[in-house]
Amino acid sequence: MSVLSQKIIDLFGGRKEERSQLSEKFWANLKHGEVVLEARGITKKFPGGVVANDHIDLEIRAGEIHAILGENGAGKTTLMNILYGLLKPDEGEIYIRGKKVEFKSPLDAINLGIGMVHQHRKLIPAHTALENIILGHPKAGKIVDIEAAKKEVQELCDKYGFKIDLDAKVWQLSAGEQQSVEIVKALYRGAKLLILDEPTSVLTPIETERFLKSLRSMAGTEIAVIPFITHKLPEVLSVSDRVTILRKGKVVKRLETRKATMEALAKYMVGREVLFRVKKPKVKKGKEILRVENLSAISDRGFLALKGVTFSIREGEIFGIAGVSGNGQQELAEVLAGVRKASGGKVMFEGKDITHASPLERLKMGIGYIPSERVRVGSIPQFSLMENIALSLYFDREFSKWGLLDYKRIREHAEKVISEFEVMAPGIYTRAAHLSGGNLQRLILARTIPRTKKLLIANLPTQGLDVGATEFVRNKLLDCKKEGMGILLISEDLDEVLQVSDTIAPIYEGKFVDIIPAEKARKEIVGAMMTGARAK
Amino acid sequence: MKLPKLKLERVLVVTGRDAVKISVLSIIIAFVVFSAFILFEGANPIDVYKCVFSYAFDPKTGLPTMIHRSTLLLFATLAFILPLKAGLWNVGMEGQLYLGTVGAFAVAYAYGDLPSTILIPLMLISAGIFGAVYGAFAGFLRGKFGVNEIVITLMLNNIAFWLLHALIMPPTGPWRGIAESQSRPLPVSAWAPTIWRLPFTVVLAPAISILLFFLFEKTRIGFQIKALGSSQPAAEHAGINPAKIAIFVMAVGGAIAGLSAYHMWAGDPSFRLIPRPDAYKGIGELTYWGIMVGLICLLNPLAAIPLSIFVGSLREGGTVIVRRYGLTYGLDRVFLGILFLSFIALQFFYRYKIVRKKKA
Repeated sequence: MSVLSQKIIDLFGGRKEERSQLSEKFWANLKHGEVVLEARGITKKFPGGVVANDHIDLEIRAGEIHAILGENGAGKTTLMNILYGLLKPDEGEIYIRGKKVEFKSPLDAINLGIGMVHQHRKLIPAHTALENIILGHPKAGKIVDIEAAKKEVQELCDKYGFKIDLDAKVWQLSAGEQQSVEIVKALYRGAKLLILDEPTSVLTPIETERFLKSLRSMAGTEIAVIPFITHKLPEVLSVSDRVTILRKGKVVKRLETRKATMEALAKYMVGREVLFRVKKPKVKKGKEILRVENLSAISDRGFLALKGVTFSIREGEIFGIAGVSGNGQQELAEVLAGVRKASGGKVMFEGKDITHASPLERLKMGIGYIPSERVRVGSIPQFSLMENIALSLYFDREFSKWGLLDYKRIREHAEKVISEFEVMAPGIYTRAAHLSGGNLQRLILARTIPRTKKLLIANLPTQGLDVGATEFVRNKLLDCKKEGMGILLISEDLDEVLQVSDTIAPIYEGKFVDIIPAEKARKEIVGAMMTGARAK
Repeated sequence: MKLPKLKLERVLVVTGRDAVKISVLSIIIAFVVFSAFILFEGANPIDVYKCVFSYAFDPKTGLPTMIHRSTLLLFATLAFILPLKAGLWNVGMEGQLYLGTVGAFAVAYAYGDLPSTILIPLMLISAGIFGAVYGAFAGFLRGKFGVNEIVITLMLNNIAFWLLHALIMPPTGPWRGIAESQSRPLPVSAWAPTIWRLPFTVVLAPAISILLFFLFEKTRIGFQIKALGSSQPAAEHAGINPAKIAIFVMAVGGAIAGLSAYHMWAGDPSFRLIPRPDAYKGIGELTYWGIMVGLICLLNPLAAIPLSIFVGSLREGGTVIVRRYGLTYGLDRVFLGILFLSFIALQFFYRYKIVRKKKA
């Protein structure tokens, strides 16, 4: 039986032209509302017994915007990769226009009209937008008719309202424009199904608005748009038609967007379970050690990422900032660590203004920083464990005299903290590059915490760690609290923030939505706030 | 016989022993490849290599010059190593050498009456300071404004060349000499005291090697330099100021290159003046070999001592084989080129290793 869809897949490189003709034929007479993609019982298990997708059914119609929601670890990425041909499902079938298909690679999916826009751009920065768009297109064979291609691409852009300077180099474009380039690239290749991974996470508000309009006009031409969303609910939901919500690898709810409220969606996403509270040690809060007033900062990309936050931390208090990455937390942490300049506002530490203090001055004051990027920022891979620990000691009189490092003392200190923080390694001369993620984080804690006297800033301290290491890190944070330190915890994991913090500040687009004492924080509400829903 | 299947594997960390193996292997490969060139030219490679080294190490012929030039090379290498430990590429040893020349000669011409014991230290200090300022300028631009230091130091080399040119060239050069296109000779009191036909600066360079080794291994600033060179973000977060370190390493590197000016012109009996521009340019270009020596010795200032002698002897001996065996002119430089290429090619093994594929 020769099915057209299979035939498209079976054609190889040399017959690109033929393939694109077949693809056109395959997609002829597309009607609005027709089911274009159907997934039945998609199941994917990973080694170690994790069931990422558990019998997921999905139905996508032509011309609809069908959002797929889920928390981290809900199985969204796996599903997305299966639909795009990056992963093969263990069970289940995928049908496109009623024809069963099996993707051997993303190329098969692309040829069948599935386009994907990743969260991390996959463009060539030194090439122009146009060159990136036509790269890999069947029509762009050995000789490229640039003018004709430009005309076609320009028409596509106009049709869907994408404003791109096609002759600009990609590195000159903003994150939002780069995303547009990726979308146009997919459309130019004839995508009828467009998978978008967390599409608005990098956009500015104005870009978001324009982007949403483009989505609508794409849906108007029978293209099915499938945005996958973790946290930034409000924008995309405002234009979507239907929503499928995943939790722990299963579909928990399908509904039409106009019948849903944000709170209800958040509830489906995170589940109903009551807060699981770990034993938070009762510590009397002492005097105020950190006071941040109207602090703002500009991101590496040049826009205002932190837009005036005000808060204070007292001794023995864990102040938890809950939010999706990219909402200004990184900038806040870096400003507090002294490696990024504040563009406005004040930072007071024990009553002293330290807004312009250097990182070294802050370290000497006893402010510790656990950065989110462990390999790039938190440690030096080619340094030994001892040298990594020395990074927090070299400036201290206790460990260096007359410009010479006292390696005997450093070694003693290193041996002590490495056993105290249970870093598993053959010895202190082992290089940090040999440590696993959890062990590396233990090393960074061993480096930082014993040198921290007053204030600890922990930026995504458990991200990517396994259960054991996560537990270890959380307990260490609580130990610091018992010792009377003030702790600023930045986390994407809402449960973690709720579990260990005394005060919770959901952050969205560079601002605190609210500052709530832990006793009064309810998961659904904080979760909704993280995604931009206002406090009542 | 079935060939074992090979595959590439990423290497996370290169151990010291692996690194030494890579360096030694690159030297061996260079010898083998160059042998092909010699054979092509119709000579016996073994004889040629023997000749190279027997000339370079024969006290009656090449040895004094070889040691003198190797010392210059060592100065240049050290001036290159120190900044690169902090992640900065100093390719301005040539310009720093010229600036050191200006510094040393200015003192010598102005205070030529002073006794040697005062004049020579003054010349050294002045040469060092001139080189340091020239280096620090590039370090400052890099540290404060993020300007690429390779571009800056290279351009500064040209400026320094023409500065020296303007100083010695008739009719207006203030330092012009009697002979065409050379400077006035140095006063006798400025000549470097010699031990067995060699200037005392031959000891100065290895002494700096040892000091640098000590700096890297024991001192706080050395630790900061290594941290910055290994990971700028991690170093910055640990309170290390990249701009300060950049200025420091470039200043000290420049000073070392500046010192070599005294060694070069006041130490070699055949100079004791600033020679014609093409001659001093030739010496200036010798400093670029410091880059190669520095990279092959893996930025180890102690390993730089024997390696400088090795490369210096190849260069000295190389000039002879061209004459003696009637080889094509410039073939001696081809060898150094091959050595560099083979070293760069073997950089591959810093990232990958080839392992035998296990049967599934």
